[in-house]
Amino acid sequence: MAAEAAAKTAAKTAAKTAIHRLSGMQKQVLSLYRGFLRAARSKPQQDRFRIESIVASEFRRNALQVDRKNFLYIEYLLRRGRKQLDQLKSPDTTGLSSVDPSSRTDH
Amino acid sequence: MAMKAAVLRHIRLSAAPTRTLGLASPASCRWGGVLGSVFRSLSSHGDDHLSKDEVVDRVLSVVKSFPKVDPSSVTPDVHFQKDLGLDSLDNVEIVMALEEEFKLEIPDLEADKIDSTRLAIEYIYNHPMAG
Repeated sequence: MAAEAAAKTAAKTAAKTAIHRLSGMQKQVLSLYRGFLRAARSKPQQDRFRIESIVASEFRRNALQVDRKNFLYIEYLLRRGRKQLDQLKSPDTTGLSSVDPSSRTDH
Repeated sequence: MAMKAAVLRHIRLSAAPTRTLGLASPASCRWGGVLGSVFRSLSSHGDDHLSKDEVVDRVLSVVKSFPKVDPSSVTPDVHFQKDLGLDSLDNVEIVMALEEEFKLEIPDLEADKIDSTRLAIEYIYNHPMAG
């Protein structure tokens, strides 16, 4: 999620300037991340581990790839993430899968 | 916790006798006084507070066992991002690991502020429900 990129770069900058203030968008990103991790807690242990790995790598991937100033895209990713989180919270859902758009498999 | 239970098993008295002892003689007074203060600190009537040392030990051990952290650089006063090189996502993960260790749920508003071992220790030590 792009918000992660914003969060990460903003956090790094904040750390360097020794002032740790989170922007509104950064807070939303972290809140979403926390939401995913909390939802994962209620799943069976094996699923929980898998969910946490996928969410962690997705967030960090976007942190690296998305321009922190691309507010429209970040907000899109936040909305999409929240919908996914709602689905994850349903007791019927036991996991997530992730597709890397940059990788292609030839069938 | 275990020590407290062990001590309480050995001292199966109520608080009242120690006060009576205190009136009887100077020697008992001293003993009663000591027992009295022991009872005050070991009271099991909702006074079940973690000691500062225990909080520090457990917070540090949670942080040290975080995979991206170098355990030798963890002290009671390190910043997760500035000193341990973590990012804000790692910060979220660490706070959640602390929640699990101490059986707490920390609201977002507070969790966002906890960015160092010092603040984590302070928050947990002051939390009435920390266990």
